[in-house]
Order: sequence, then C-alpha cells, then structure tokens
Amino acid sequence: MNPFLGPLDSLGRVPALQQTRVASFLVSLHGALARQLALTLPGQFNAGWQTELNTQLHRETEIVSLLLRATSWMPDIMVFYNTLIWEAAWVPTPTAGIADRRLATTIDIAALGHAAHGAIRPAALLPVEASTDDPFVAALRRIEFESSRLIQAQIYFLKSDELKSVRDAVGAAVNDRHRLVRKLWADVLESIGIKPRADDE
Amino acid sequence: MPFLSHGSHRIRYELDGPTDAPAYVLVNGLTQYSELWAAYRDALIGKGFRVATFDLLGQGASTKPELFISQHDQVEALEHLIEALGSGPIFLGGISFGALIALRYAILRSDRLSGLVPMSAFAEMSPQLLLLGNALRTGLILGGTSYLQDLLLPMNLSDAWLKPLLGNLDAVKRQGWLINDVYAVQNLMESFLDFEPLTPQLASIKTPTMILNGEFDFLTPRSLHETLRTHIADSSLVIVPNAYHAFTLEKAALTADLLARFAEDVLAGRWQGRQAVWIAPDEAGGEMTPFPAGFDHLRAIPVQRAAS
Repeated sequence: MNPFLGPLDSLGRVPALQQTRVASFLVSLHGALARQLALTLPGQFNAGWQTELNTQLHRETEIVSLLLRATSWMPDIMVFYNTLIWEAAWVPTPTAGIADRRLATTIDIAALGHAAHGAIRPAALLPVEASTDDPFVAALRRIEFESSRLIQAQIYFLKSDELKSVRDAVGAAVNDRHRLVRKLWADVLESIGIKPRADDE
Repeated sequence: MPFLSHGSHRIRYELDGPTDAPAYVLVNGLTQYSELWAAYRDALIGKGFRVATFDLLGQGASTKPELFISQHDQVEALEHLIEALGSGPIFLGGISFGALIALRYAILRSDRLSGLVPMSAFAEMSPQLLLLGNALRTGLILGGTSYLQDLLLPMNLSDAWLKPLLGNLDAVKRQGWLINDVYAVQNLMESFLDFEPLTPQLASIKTPTMILNGEFDFLTPRSLHETLRTHIADSSLVIVPNAYHAFTLEKAALTADLLARFAEDVLAGRWQGRQAVWIAPDEAGGEMTPFPAGFDHLRAIPVQRAAS
C-alpha cells in the first residue's frame, strides 16, 4: 500500500482507474451537497453568513462539473455498487436529540459539508512528481484549495451561539459524519492501493 | 506508532531513552509534529535523558476534534503523557503554542516538574500578537495550510536558514502541509477566542524555569518573555543570539545543549534563576554571558536602563 496515487505515467499522470474511483466518490459527495443546498437554501437570507451558502451551492456544482471534464474516465464495474452505497450514506438524517426536525436536518447537512471539506484531502494524495499541467491533478488541488473557504459556512453555523444549547448533539452529529465520510473515503483509497492516513484509521 | 487515550481522543507520542533517566517532555508549536524534535531526541538521549514528544490534539497523527479543541484538553493530554513516565524527574519544554500549554501545566502542577523551559513564549495576547494571530487565521482560511506556512516561514526563520532553501521551499513545507488539516489548525487558533491572560497565575510556578527567547523574535518579542521572567521567581531569561521565533528548528544543536545544561544544573543543585538575563552562546557548548549590566534588555539598541 502506498500513501500516494500512482505509479504515475511518464507524463506525471495518475492511472485512469485511480482517477475514476477518486472522481466518482467526489462527484457523488459534492453532487449530494449541491442538491441538498439547492433544496434547503432559504429563498430570502436573513443573516450575512448565509451568503456563503449561496457561494457554496455554486462551488459544489463547479466541483462536479470540473471533475466530469478533468478526469480520464475508464469503465469501472464497481461504480454502480459504490454509487449506491455512497448515495445512501449522504441522505440527510435528522440529528438525534434535537426536537426541531428542520433544524436537526440542517445540522446534519452542515455536518456532511464539514466532513466533505474537512476530512477529504484529495491534493494530499498527489505525489510530488504529479504533473502540474495535468487537468486531474489541477482539479484535485483546486478542490482542496477551495475546501478551506467552503468549510467556513459550516464552521460558523455549527459553532454558533444559536446551537450552544445543543452543542453535544451537534458535536456528535459532526463526529458521526466525519467517521462515515472517512470510512467510505478510506475504502475507496484501499480499493486502489492507497493507505489511509494514521488519523483516518 | 504508540497512542495514549484521552477520553475518545488518541494522542500519538514517542518515548525514547533509558526508563530510569530524568525525562524531557517537549511540546510542539502550531502546525508542528513530533518528528521535528528528532535532533533533540538524539542529543538529549546522548546526554542521559529520556525524551517524550507527542502530537497535540488537532495536529499530526493525534485525534483532530472536529469543532472545538480547548487548551484545557491539551493540558490534560500532556498530563496523561507525564503520568505515563512514572515518578522520576520531569523537565518540560514547549515552543510557542506549546510553551503556552507547558505554562498552563506548570501553573497547575508545578510540584510535578523539576524544570520548565518556555521557548518563544507568551502568557498574554499583546495587541500585536492578537492582530498577527487574527491575520494568520484569515490567511489559513483564505489560502489553506500552505499559505499559512508561507507567512510563518519568513516571519519565524532567519535569512541564513531560508536562503539555501529558497528553491526548495515546497519540500520544506510538504510534511507539515500533508499532516495538518485546515479545520483542525483553525480550531487550535480559535482556542484563543476565550483566552484570558495567564500572568496573574505565573507566580504559582515555583519550578526552576529557563525562558528562551530568540534575539529577533518578531511574533513573540522580548516584552512577552519579560512577563514570564518578572512573575516566575526562580527563572532566568536567556536570549538566543541571531534567532527568530522558530529557533528550535533553526538552532537545534544549540537549543538541545541549553536544555541539557539547564537540567544538569537543576539536578546537581547548581541552578539559580534569580530572574537574571543571559545571552546564550552562538554554538552548543559555548559560554553563557550575563546581559551587560546597566543596559535595557528590552531594547534593540544599547540604551541605559532607567533607574528603578
């Protein structure tokens, strides 16, 4: 098992099966976030930080669009099975211990966003020899770079005073989503010969 | 890779050296990881010490709590590690954020320590440090860990160290970038949102204390170390010449030698803090020089100290 994608070809490109598996997972996850944001974003914002959510909706869509175009896809018999598993995992689950069902669902969606942008480090999979001119390599770097900004709306909401009274429930929801996302991500990586990081185990 | 348990969290640590030897416990700064103390491990073990290093919560291979990391949790994790070392003499050193955690531990458990070495330390947030910290946090959010490293490197290391590495800085940054996650480093930074100065509690530290401050430390300048010197009775302030905030990286041989000599002096009963001010030698093994009498060690130019 290797900590990085590869072996790279002579042009510094990632093998097509690895590109396909990584991109499939990211398309599923960011696509789910885009759909969830599109459905839950209020028609009228009432707080300044919510404008970040509008940005996030479009950035999630951009990530999906980018990966569809930047990936060297190849047929993968696992893609249907994997997609079923992943899509089932992303379905919003109201956070336990919170009576307001709408709020409980919003917390879970935010927790998934926190995990997607916090726990997944696609650029950290790239070996130093990866070609800076390869579209897939550039896409992974861009997704990770954007994640530090996109996670901010989640951080603001999940750590807000508004949720102070239910902080334990919120913490547990975020922890659960991180574990789930890390587990599925580790499974994807192991299926292409990549060893997960020590703190992902 | 051994781990200690702290509640649901795991603390990754390394412990080397003879089990019956006095121990040095070294605490990382922000974005650092245990391996950065490798030179200290070798040097201190060579001088007969046991050495314990670990990854703070939120860094390296230790658990990265998703939303909140309190400084109290870091102190508890440190306490677990010190408990695991048994009842022999313990010397505790920490750099920057790690020095703050070491100070917090010493305030609570001065009785458990034989010696304390805060390096590039602070007990309160000066306006400059507060604003720099805010700017670094914004840099992290907007540009990720890599941009934070871009800001920290020139701020905390000398031209002499940076110049030969200018063409290879990505390699210097890579390990720190790989193991640090933005949200976790951000949580560490945000543990200062409810920060209260430790200054009123410093007097409870009765432990022999050697305070190390780089001559050109821009992030935590002399005045912040002076707070420690004037409030910790058995302390000395040692100025490390030609050094910046991250001198533990840049001057590892010298700093490890200073740590060993301090501990040897304490164990031999020779240490006398006296709240004195010293200048460290340029190289390991050199002579310590008292700061020139009558001059103000808080100034960067030779100004006579005002009569008190």
